[in-house]
Amino acid sequence: MVAQGLEERIIEAALCCISRWGLAKTTLDDVARQARCSRATVYRVFPGGKDALVQSVARREVARVAGAVTDRFSAAGTLEDLLSAGLAEAARQLLQHPALAFVVAHESDAVVPWLAFERGEELLAFVTTLAAPHLERFLAPADARRAAEWAARVLLAFCVCPARGVDLTDDVSARRVVTTFLLPGLVPGLLPGLVPDR
Amino acid sequence: MAGDLRELILEGAYDCIARHGMAKTTVEDVARQAQVSRATVYRYFPGGKDQLLRDTVTWEAARFFGQLAAATAGAADFASLLEEALLFAHRAVGEHAVLQKMLQSEPATLLSRLTIGGDRLVRLIKVWLAPHLAAAQLCPGVTVDGAGDYLARMMLSFIGAQGQWDLDDRSQVAALVRTEFLAGIVLREQTP
Repeated sequence: MVAQGLEERIIEAALCCISRWGLAKTTLDDVARQARCSRATVYRVFPGGKDALVQSVARREVARVAGAVTDRFSAAGTLEDLLSAGLAEAARQLLQHPALAFVVAHESDAVVPWLAFERGEELLAFVTTLAAPHLERFLAPADARRAAEWAARVLLAFCVCPARGVDLTDDVSARRVVTTFLLPGLVPGLLPGLVPDR
Repeated sequence: MAGDLRELILEGAYDCIARHGMAKTTVEDVARQAQVSRATVYRYFPGGKDQLLRDTVTWEAARFFGQLAAATAGAADFASLLEEALLFAHRAVGEHAVLQKMLQSEPATLLSRLTIGGDRLVRLIKVWLAPHLAAAQLCPGVTVDGAGDYLARMMLSFIGAQGQWDLDDRSQVAALVRTEFLAGIVLREQTP
């Protein structure tokens, strides 16, 4: 049994190293030094070595960001609040993430495949599954799935390629996007029978 | 005939990229394909391979938008125009030789252009949309610039991944355009 605290410490250390040196240059020695443990200990906790460690870091960060965003969902009292707070929280989590920022700036080959085509579809499906149950507090199930995917598209599009005058990390700006573009398209029965119900 | 020769070289470069990908295409390959000398390629593209690749992408993008304009020419209104554009773009990307080759061999290069380096594409789409937006009756508080930014990003998002929609199905594309694209942008016509 590996102590929970130790695994956590190594993951934190890896994040710290990645935000400083990137994915390619970070070594297990760097991580061990940062975590103040031996290289052998890192291997004991992550027998798969660097690849396994990086995967654990990614999984942990995805879960953490998802948790932060769904906390916002749960606290929202209206559809407008849920979409606005969720978008702003997700944008802050993505754009103010030091390790992700380094990778996007210097090792973008590691992230761009997630933005379109096969893995882009996977990412949209993941966010849809995550957000749709929360949106069902305010929308019919088919509309909730549609709205979840739509919000994911807006988030990614404006984070990856910023537009003048739109800053989703800002609550007011995120709310303006939601009230301008999203809410008018989520009026129930806007196009009965035309929206896909899957 | 200088224009024709430049065009010929760009066509040659396009064919080479479709066959070998961007990384493996050389100036020699392009010269051979276009049946001109290496020196001629350098005369038209003094920056060598980098410039040739860049200009080929721009040239192909212009050609793509020319075809898009033709495909959408008969559209009755702005919603139908976007509908035709999405149907066309979704089909064209699936059939596009260079895009498909790059998806297999150099996905990161291609995706960087579509996503992180997508500013150029966003600008191209915005320029194409601007006159249509200027002619439409926009919702209060919506500007041509802001709507163009939003619509261009939505177009690129759907071209990259269709998600739960079927973009080969005209009725779904019609629903998509009238909800997620335009509901907040263009004032709905009063139904009698």
